[in-house]
Parts: sequence; C-alpha cells; structure tokens
Amino acid sequence: MKFTGIERQLNILDYALHSLARRPGRHLSITFIFALVIFLVASFQMVTASLKHSADVLLKTAPEITVQKMVAGRQVMMRVGDMARVGKVFGIKEIYPRVWGYHFAARNGANYTIIGLDPARQRQLPPYLDGVKMPLAPGEAIVGLPLAKLLDLGGRRVFSLARGDLSLKSFRLAGTFPAASDILTGDLLVTNIADARDLLGMKADEITDICVSVANPAEVRTIAGKISRVMPGTRVLTRDQIRKTYQAVFSWRSGFGSICLLTALAAFFILAWDRASGLSAGERRETAILKVLGWQTTDIITLRFWEGGAVATMAFLLGVMAAWLHVTIGAAALFRPVLMGWSVLRPNLELVPVTRVSDFIIVFTFTVLPYLAATVIPAWHSATVPPDAAVR
Amino acid sequence: MIELIGVNKIYNQGRANEVHALHGIDFSAEKGEIICLQGASGSGKSTLLSIIGCIFGPTSGRAIIGAKALSRLPDRFLTLHRRETIGFIFQQFNLISGLRVLDNVALPLLPLGISPGERKKRAMVLLERFNLSHRADFRADQISGGEMQRVAIARALVNDQPIILADEPTAHLDTALSHDFMTIIAGLKETGKTIIIASHDELVSTHRAIDRIIAIRDGRLHVS
Ligand SMILES: Nc1ncnc2c1ncn2[C@@H]1O[C@H](COP(=O)(O)OP(=O)(O)O)[C@@H](O)[C@H]1O
Ligand SMILES: [Mg+2]
Repeated sequence: MKFTGIERQLNILDYALHSLARRPGRHLSITFIFALVIFLVASFQMVTASLKHSADVLLKTAPEITVQKMVAGRQVMMRVGDMARVGKVFGIKEIYPRVWGYHFAARNGANYTIIGLDPARQRQLPPYLDGVKMPLAPGEAIVGLPLAKLLDLGGRRVFSLARGDLSLKSFRLAGTFPAASDILTGDLLVTNIADARDLLGMKADEITDICVSVANPAEVRTIAGKISRVMPGTRVLTRDQIRKTYQAVFSWRSGFGSICLLTALAAFFILAWDRASGLSAGERRETAILKVLGWQTTDIITLRFWEGGAVATMAFLLGVMAAWLHVTIGAAALFRPVLMGWSVLRPNLELVPVTRVSDFIIVFTFTVLPYLAATVIPAWHSATVPPDAAVR
Repeated sequence: MIELIGVNKIYNQGRANEVHALHGIDFSAEKGEIICLQGASGSGKSTLLSIIGCIFGPTSGRAIIGAKALSRLPDRFLTLHRRETIGFIFQQFNLISGLRVLDNVALPLLPLGISPGERKKRAMVLLERFNLSHRADFRADQISGGEMQRVAIARALVNDQPIILADEPTAHLDTALSHDFMTIIAGLKETGKTIIIASHDELVSTHRAIDRIIAIRDGRLHVS
C-alpha cells in the first residue's frame, strides 16, 4: 500500500475547500457570526490587557505610602511643615511632597490633570520617558500626546495656560509621554512643584500629598498604621490598597464583561453544535457515499475538521483584525463605557493596545478550539454509522 | 473471488425492530463472472450486496471476498479492503452534485493520497472511454440521466477494483438507457472483472452479458 500521508491530507483539504465553495451561503453566515463573536472576545481581551498593563505601570511609579489630609470627607491642602511629623516615624527611607489638581481650559472645555513633582523625585518618571533631561528646569513641562494635540502647538515648544485669575503662565515643552501610556498620561501635565502651585493657585508651602517610601517593604502596613496615629485626620493609602481598590473596580467591570461574552460564546457553540449534529440530509448522504467509496471514518473527520478549520481560521482572522482596528482606530468604542467608566479620559484618547501573543492564544483557545470540537464531534458520530443507506 | 457460506444478517439484533434479512446464504462467484441477483423489493438484495461489498460483515456465517475473510473485521479494515476490491454503482447514481464530473470520478482516489495530476489523468481516461470528456468540467447535476449513469460507472472503475457491484442500476433509466448500460457492462467482460447486478428488471436478467441468474426471496437464495 502506498499511502503518502501528506498527499492524502492535502487531497482531503482540497476537497474540503471545494466543498466550502460549493455551499457558500451556509458557511458564510456561520463564518460571519463566528467572526463577530471572536471580534468581541478579542477586543475585550486587548482592552483588558492594555488597561492591566497601564495599571501595572501606574502602580510601579506610585509611592509606597501616600498621606492625604481629610476634612469633612474631602481632601484638603497640607503644609510642607506637616512632613516633619511623618518624618518622626521609624523605618521611613524618604519623604517627599507632591502637588496635583485639575486645570480647566475654557478654550476647549477640557480638564487637564496637573502634577507637580519635587525636583529630587522626578527620576520617578523614567518608566515613561526617554530623552527628557531630568530634573526639569523651572517652567518646563512634560505632557501627554493627546494633550499636546489639544494644545495645538504645531512646531512650537512654548505654550501658556491661564491661572485662576486669568493671567497667563507660560511653559516650555520638555517632552511628551509615549503614546503607549496614553491611558494614564493622556490629559497629564507634569512640571516642577513650584510651577504647579503657581498654575493651580496654591500657596508657596501648600502640598496635596505626602509621599513616603519605606526602608523595608515588609513593614509598609505597620508604618502606615503609625503614620495615621501620629497624624490624626489623614488618609493613609498604601500602594497595595490602591492596587486592591483599582483591581476591585476593574475586575468587577471586566468580570461583568466576561460573563456577557461567555454567554455569547456559549450560545454560539450551541448553535454550531446544533448545526453540525443536525447535519442536513445532503451532508449525511455525502458522508455515506464517501465511506462506500473507501473513505475512512478518520478521512471524513479530517474533512469536517478542515472545513471547520477553514471557517474558524477565516473567522479568527476577520474577528481579530476587526478587534485590532476597533481598539486602535475605533478606540474601543464598544467597551469604553464598560471598562473605562471610572477613568477621566478624553473621548478622543487613542488607546494603544498591548498586543501580546499570549492574548491571541487565549482568544484562539476559547473560540477556535471549542468550535472545532463542536463541529468535529457530531461529524465523527455520523461518520461511524455504516454507510449502507447510500447503497439502496 | 467471492464465497459466502451460511451467511445470516440480522438487523437490530435483540431489539424490538429486529429484522432477519438473510437466512443461511451459500453463494460463490468466480473471477470474470457477470451475475444477476433477482428478487422483489425487500427480499434482501441490497443487504447481500452490502456484505459482498464489505460495507458490513455478516451476523453469522463466513464471507470471503477477494481472498479475505470478512467476519469480525473492524470497520477500518473493511474500508481498506473495500476500496481495493469493490467498485460500486448505485441506483440513484449518488454523484455529489455541485462537484465537477471529473472530481466525482476521481473521488475514490482522494484518500489513497494520489496527486491531483494523476487523479485527473486516470479520470480522463475513463471519461474518454465513456464519451464524457466534453462533460468533465460540468457540475454533476448539470448533465443528463444517461451521462450520470456513465459517470457512476466510471467512478466504480477508477481504482480498477476486481469486483463491481450494482444495485438496481437501471431503476431510474428508460429502456434505451438501460440497454446502453448493459452494453457497457458487456464491454467490461474482457477486463475480467466479477460483476454482480441486483435488479428485477427483465432487460437486465435476459441480457446476453449475464452469465448466471440467482433469485433471492425473503432472504433465501433459489438457484435456477
Ligand atoms: N438498515 C436496516 N435496518 C433494519 N432493517 C433493514 C435495514 N436495511 C434493510 N432492512 C430490511 O431488510 C430486508 C431486506 O432489505 P433489502 O436488503 O434492502 O432488500 P432489497 O434490496 O431486495 O429491496 C427488508 O425487510 C428491509 O426492511
Ligand atoms: Mg434494495
């Protein structure tokens, strides 16, 4: 016997593709629905991955402990002098001030986030930045790309923003945050602490947060507890707490999204299974004819596998490509309300997707593989029946 | 070439819808014989052809087809043996509509791993022999009934199996086409193939190509 395995597979593949071409209507509709499902799953996965990635970056640069003063449940300013009391707590490596706030730009009706960093702490930024000279000189600022666009700088490096009393404060652009961090930095302007105070209308020794880094990371919670004792009336946030709050909101949202998608996915596989097991009379006749003519059960399964594989591959490529466009060009318009509702983002923000191979593998595993199972298993059942019906 | 000894076939054995379709069939056929299997509808012709055609084994008894004993062969080996040994011509032609005539003829060659070029060559030889080469690129549902019948014969011959089985091949053909069919069968005589035609058509049983007639009634053979 001269069975060349590869030739046989190619022959069956060839037959499968022709057989798809023979029944375009039937296969196109299922391909389209499947592509839609994959589109949703892949978009969701890509947005989730981007957000998670951004969150990780954010948390890496966040201080281990942040102290904020609360009055009537709202955050109020502190004085530089307040830092001294924190400094008495044992186990602290560094204390530094931070100023932040929102700047409303009447010109385009947008809110910018302003962060003022202590010059000594500006080396915290480098995860975002290449080629910007640190620390910033007085009057220098780094802005997010979307914000830079909004400022409509053209080629200029100098721009000005209006203080609360409508006088203008000018800045020199030292650099922009890379597009990949847009989700965090889209509306952000980082400058020196003094310039930030000036723009935001704060007094010379006012600060928003006291940031603390500790000598031994294992003691973060103990030290946070001590700080709240020496400074009653403050809110002491650890990086872990921020992470947990963040994750709680985030995973609730993404969990909600996943459940909706899984429902859609399950519905689709039931449909696929139903179609495959309720094979049309024509297909069952075809199976019987092929078997009588000497096709093995495995050949028939291979045939259905290739058919399903072609449909799934088409749908996968279509769906993933559409998802990529959706997330990049379409800025994930469909999932934005679900996943990003908590964030103060510009509607024109471009989300730069984190496209990891592992995400595609996950999407593949949860879409293409079950689809193949849902089509091949019923075909296998029908192919094991003796084909004598075709003979009479 | 074919030898059946005490063959029984019971469908759905042990269940309420059990049917004892064949009773103690003893039958043999030599290489090159052309046999007509005659019997009314429901007498067991198709069942007998299925056993000879290695589609399933007998419930009991011995069946030796092309020097191989069938009983208890698993499906996989039945299929292997079938594609080397048996060519089928069905009553309904059973072409795959939508597929080109050429591809229909080449269908049995696909799982053998034969290359497209070689498949085409072999199929074209047969199409030419049956005056069908001008139809090679037509879809199987776009040709006439007589042409379909010839395509079905070509398909049964394409792998050059030694045994050809035909189940009521003329049931859907008019007299002229039935006659053409038998002429083609007669023409196969010189190739030395063993041919069994199940039919209750007079035109088949009385044709000069037929060497021997076997009658089957209620699952039992009556040799004339
Ligand atoms: N797959 C099957 N399951 C159950 N009974 C069957 C099956 N195939 C045929 N039979 C029965 O076996 C008997 C013989 O049928 P068949 O071989 O098709 O006769 P013929 O071809 O001469 O018309 C009939 O009674 C028929 O109903
Ligand atoms: Mg019959």
